[in-house]
Amino acid sequence: MTGNNHARPLALRASGLVKIYRDGEKPALDGFSVEIGEGDIFGLLGPNGAGKTTAISIMSTLLRPTEGEVTIFNRDTRRRAGEVKAMIGLVPQEIALYRQLSGRENLRYFGRLYGLRGSALSARVEECLDFVGLRPKADQRVHAYSGGMKRRINLAVGILHRPKLLFLDEPTVGIDAQSRDMILARLLDLNKQGTTMVYTTHYMEEAERLCSEVAVMDDGRVLVRGKPAELIKKGGHASLQEMFFALTGRELRD
Amino acid sequence: MIGKLFATLRKDALLLWRDRAGLLLLFVMPAVLVVIITLVQDNVYRLMGETAARVILVDRDRDELGRLLNERLAGLELVTAIEGETISRSKAMGLVADGDYQACIIVREGTTARLLARVRAGIRASLLKEAGEGGGEPIPELEIYFDPTVMGGFRSSMRNGLSLVLFEFEGDARMKALSEVLPEFIEREIKKAAGDFADYVEVPSLEIDIPTEPLLTVRTASASTAGLTVVPTPTQHNVPAWALFGMFFIVVPMAGSLIRERQEETLMRLRSMPVAYAIILAGKVMAFMLVCFTQFLLIYLLGRFLLPAFGLEPFRVGAEWGGALLVVAAASLAAAGYGILLGTLCRTYEQSSMFGSISVVAGAAIGGVMVPVYAMPEIMQKISVISPLGWGLEAFLDIFVRGGGVAAITGQLVLLFMFALSTVVAAWLVFIRRAP
Repeated sequence: MTGNNHARPLALRASGLVKIYRDGEKPALDGFSVEIGEGDIFGLLGPNGAGKTTAISIMSTLLRPTEGEVTIFNRDTRRRAGEVKAMIGLVPQEIALYRQLSGRENLRYFGRLYGLRGSALSARVEECLDFVGLRPKADQRVHAYSGGMKRRINLAVGILHRPKLLFLDEPTVGIDAQSRDMILARLLDLNKQGTTMVYTTHYMEEAERLCSEVAVMDDGRVLVRGKPAELIKKGGHASLQEMFFALTGRELRD
Repeated sequence: MIGKLFATLRKDALLLWRDRAGLLLLFVMPAVLVVIITLVQDNVYRLMGETAARVILVDRDRDELGRLLNERLAGLELVTAIEGETISRSKAMGLVADGDYQACIIVREGTTARLLARVRAGIRASLLKEAGEGGGEPIPELEIYFDPTVMGGFRSSMRNGLSLVLFEFEGDARMKALSEVLPEFIEREIKKAAGDFADYVEVPSLEIDIPTEPLLTVRTASASTAGLTVVPTPTQHNVPAWALFGMFFIVVPMAGSLIRERQEETLMRLRSMPVAYAIILAGKVMAFMLVCFTQFLLIYLLGRFLLPAFGLEPFRVGAEWGGALLVVAAASLAAAGYGILLGTLCRTYEQSSMFGSISVVAGAAIGGVMVPVYAMPEIMQKISVISPLGWGLEAFLDIFVRGGGVAAITGQLVLLFMFALSTVVAAWLVFIRRAP
C-alpha cells in the first residue's frame, strides 16, 4: 500500500518490487511500493526477515529486483545507475570499512572514489570527522575503534559526498547510548540541511524520534505507512512499539 | 578515472604494507628459500659434477707427473681448488670423507721415476731385445679417492680427465725414450748388416724432435642465440625460479583481500559508489603487480650480492632487462588473475589460503621451480607444460641462460597473458552466477 500524496517532489518512488532469490522459497519482496518525498526521514520497520535490507539493497542500486522499478529524483535506477549512485549515500548495517586503515585514510579513499580531490577532499574529510566527533582519533586504525566510533565513521563515509538521499540500514545497532544519541542528533542535523533519508531500525523509539514517516513491513510487503503519531492514534495504540507488535505479532523471528 | 585507479592502488598497497604476515609470506619466504635451495642445489650439482668441485692433489712425487697433473687439473672446468702440496695423505682423505672436498688424487713418491723407467725398459726390450733397468718395477698407481656421496657423472669426468693427463704423459715419455733408444737401435742394425765393414760405417746422428702441440682440439660453447656463455648454474636457475614462486604467492593475499571485502561488506559499499568495479579491480591488480616487481628486485639483489657471500656465483641478468621485466609483468598478471578467481570461488579466507598455497606449490613443482624440468621423468616433463610457473620460468631461462630476447619468449608471454585473461573471465562468470 502506498497511499501517499506528497505535496513536495518525490525523492524516491519504488513500485511493485518483487525479489525472489535463487535459493529462496518465497519472495523476499512481494509487491513492495513506497513513495518518499524530498526532505523526509522515512523509517522502514519490520521484524527480522521482513525484507527491509532487500528493499534498501534494491533501492540503493545494489540488487536487481525480479520485478518492479525504482526511480530516484526521477531517474531510473537501472538505466541511469551512474547518476543515481552519485546522488545517494549508503550506511550499511556492517562496518563496511577497511579495518587496517585509519578513519582518515578510509574517508580519503572513499572520498576519492566519489570524485573529490585535492583541498576539497581534505576539507570535506575534516568536516565529516568533526561532524561525527572523530577528529582526535582520525589517525587510529578502524580495528582499534570502539563499536560506537565504528558506527560514527561508517556514517561519516556515507555522507562524504553530500548525498541528496541517504540509506541507513540499522546504523545504531549494538552501540552505547551516547554514540546512538550523537548519531541520531547528527542525522537530524543532516535532514535539516536537506538530506532525505531511508532508515531501517529495530528500535521503535528511534523511529518515533527521527522519522517523519514510517512504513511497517512484513513478508516483503508494506502493512501500514504514515506519520508515527497519526498511525499510533489511528490504531488506538499506546506507542509505535505496541502498534508494531499488533501488526507483526510477538512470536520470535530467527 | 585515473585518480580512482591510483587511489585504489595506494589503498591496497597500504593494506599490504600493514599486513605483516602477508609481507613475510611474500618477501621473506622466497628470499629465504632462494638462499637455502641455491646452497643445497649447488652442493648437489657439485656431487653430480655439474659445477666446479674442490679437489686435493697430494703430490708426494714432486716430479714431472705431479707438476703436469697440477697444471692440467687447474685447466679443468670441474675443479676449483687444488691443494695439498704439504698436506698429509691421511688428512687429505679425512677432508674428502668429511665432504669438504669432492676428491683426492695421490701421486706416490717416485711415481714419475718408476713410470719413466718402465717406459724406457719397455722400449729397450722391444727394440734392443734386452731387459732394461726398471722392467721389473710394479706398475705405478695413481690413486683417486672420492667423497662417497659424489655422483657417477663427477667420478667419470674426473677419471676421464686423469686418464687423458696420464695418456699425454705416457705418450710423451715413450716418445722421449724412443728418441733415446732409436739411434742406438739404428746404429746397431746398420753395423750388423754391414758385417765386416761395420767399422767403416759411419752412422749419422739422429735427433728426433717430435712436436707436442695438439693436432686437434675440441671447442665447446653454449648454443645460445646471443652467443652468451652463461650456463644454468644453481644461481641462474634458482633466482628466477623462486622469484616466480614468491610472485605467484600473491594469490593468497589477493584472494584474501577480495574475500574480506565481500565478508565485511566493503564490496557492497564500493558497488554503491559511482565507479566501475573494473577500476577498483584494476587498482588492486596494479598494487599486487607492484609487489611482484618489488619481489623480483629483492630476489635479484639477493642473487647478485648475497649469494656470492656464500661462495656461490652471482646472478647475471644479461642485456635483456626489458624482456625480464615483461616476464615479471606477465607472470604477476597471471598470478593476480588466479588470485581473483580464487577470491571469487572460495567462500572463506581459510579455503583460499589453503587451496592457493597448495596449488602454487604444486604448480611450482610441476613447472620446474624445485627440480629442473630436464631432470624430471618423461611423464612429468610432459605435464610440466600446463604450469603457468613453468611458462614463466622457461621465459626467464630463455633470457638469463640461453641469452634470448623478447622474440624468444613471445610464446610464454602470450600463454601467461591468456591465463590471466581466462581466470578473470572465469571469475566474472562465477560472480554473475552467484549474484542473488
